[in-house]
Amino acid sequence: MARRNKTIVVNGVTMNRRETFKSHFQRYWQLYAMLFLPVIYFIIFKYVPMFGNILAFRRYRPGLGPYGTDWVGLRYFEKFMGDRAFWQAFRNTLTLSLLNLLVNFPIPIVFAVMLNEVRHLRFKKLVQTVSYMPRFISTVVVIAIMGELLSPSTGLVNNFLHDAFGITPIYFMNEPQYFRALYVLTDTWQFTGWTAIIYLAAITGISSDLFEAATIDGATRLQQIIYVTIPSILPTIMVMFIMSVGRLLSLGFEKVLLMYTPSNSSVSDIIDTLVYRTGLANQNYSYATAIGLFSGVIGVVLVSLSNFISRKTTGDGIY
Amino acid sequence: MTTVSVSKRPAHIRRGAGSVVMDVIIYLVMVFVLLVCLVPFLYMIALSFSDAKAIVNNQVSFWPVGFNLGSYEQIVTYPHFFRAYGNTFFYTLAGTAISLLMTMLFAYPLSKTHLRGQGVFMRMVVISMFFSGGMIPNFLLISNLQLTGTVWAMLIPFAINQFNLIILVNFFKALPGEIEEAALIDGLNYFGILFRIVMPLSTAALATVGLYTAVFFWNDWFNALLYLNSAQYPVMLFLRNIVNGTAMLGDAAGFGDKSTIAISIKSAVIVTSTLPIIILYPFLQKYFVKGLTVGSVKG
Repeated sequence: MARRNKTIVVNGVTMNRRETFKSHFQRYWQLYAMLFLPVIYFIIFKYVPMFGNILAFRRYRPGLGPYGTDWVGLRYFEKFMGDRAFWQAFRNTLTLSLLNLLVNFPIPIVFAVMLNEVRHLRFKKLVQTVSYMPRFISTVVVIAIMGELLSPSTGLVNNFLHDAFGITPIYFMNEPQYFRALYVLTDTWQFTGWTAIIYLAAITGISSDLFEAATIDGATRLQQIIYVTIPSILPTIMVMFIMSVGRLLSLGFEKVLLMYTPSNSSVSDIIDTLVYRTGLANQNYSYATAIGLFSGVIGVVLVSLSNFISRKTTGDGIY
Repeated sequence: MTTVSVSKRPAHIRRGAGSVVMDVIIYLVMVFVLLVCLVPFLYMIALSFSDAKAIVNNQVSFWPVGFNLGSYEQIVTYPHFFRAYGNTFFYTLAGTAISLLMTMLFAYPLSKTHLRGQGVFMRMVVISMFFSGGMIPNFLLISNLQLTGTVWAMLIPFAINQFNLIILVNFFKALPGEIEEAALIDGLNYFGILFRIVMPLSTAALATVGLYTAVFFWNDWFNALLYLNSAQYPVMLFLRNIVNGTAMLGDAAGFGDKSTIAISIKSAVIVTSTLPIIILYPFLQKYFVKGLTVGSVKG
């Protein structure tokens, strides 16, 4: 029992581990008092909705409580498994996520490596400051600006295409074939600078000895990037990649909702918008909860799996 | 900017032809990035100050044509705009204040690892980051708490963000314990320590977390759409409704062709609703960036 009797020093007071709970509470009751409201908050606003998912297995009847009236088992799951709208939303979610990962994972790395090569410090700072800014702009504003830039009648892009190539104006925001590109590119615009911060920090952490040694060995700048910079930030790249895979299914729901039009719905209907439509617009609460729970579970599995792989390969998990 | 300003490149770098070519490419790319980030804003500003005719004739690109303040005059006379703007200010100030208080109250005890139960509460936080309720259960919860149609629906559900909480917990943990000891001996209780000693020492972390929270509340529109009545709408939802064509611009548009007036008015709303962030941004960005690097510390 040596471990239990270990004395520890807290706030300058030597105390015994075997101190009773009562005296512990008397000493720290104010700290527990501070916890009170936040813990209640967590129970109500984080845990009650978690258990509210039980609605996916129960039938909801208006006015008879948020947790449904009677058990229906997996009926709602069977229902959406046979629903073509669900599978279309599922495919759209996967396609859009993978495309987004493919484009917006490498771009911040390239940007960070290039920015690090800029030698005028003031210019470098300027580029950094400006490139972070879109991250703080509301999605509503981003989509509104895009709408004006791409407007078929007055937008800058269509004007340019018309004047330069004689192309008749295209209604980009309404045509299904442009939806995915627009989604991915607005993400590039909004988050490249911000995500690059992490890689820039990693590059700053590289020992300058490595670069000096490479210079002495006659490495050109390009060779230094390929043989020193990139390998040194590889662990960061790995962790970021695993995190991105873990978050694969969590697309920017609000952005998709803002870009959604009836004519692009064949590609823009993702799982979250389907849940929103069936649940909140059509008030099929149980059915929508079942779909939401399904994609939530896949999300948790992806996060845990990627965290597990991260631990195995880099010896370091994210959580 | 604190983390990246030091160049790791030795000064006596070889400057061959390849290096010059690389510099040219890099600077071109950087100028391109600057333009891509700034042009959309310039275009919005140009449109908002331009004459309706010039917009229709596609004369406006990056500079106002037929400079006038007409669209700004119109949006300030449009009563719903000021109301929405005022609502957004209220949600941002009240939401950030509530959130900072609640997050601090939770973070301080969580930073005391010797406190019994601390591990349990920390696990409670981390688990809630993995599993969440989802859209429908959250919606039904807010309805059942009778919060729908009240401003509390905008403020309370987002009182604590787990990532911000962990930033603060880590920051509090790193504070020197000796100061607290002295304060305890001097007879200050834990609430006094938190508000009179820990809080003033944590302004950098609180500013970071506060800014993230303020930006969140300023930009939020979806929760307002779900829970609020139109008189309570924030400016972002007002803008979204204008873009969607849900809100009648006719109320504000007294003359001319509605669709073109809509463009300059839309732009004016975009500019005014984003202005506070753009103006404050250069002064606050060191905190924004600091938060990201602090946040990368594991919970």
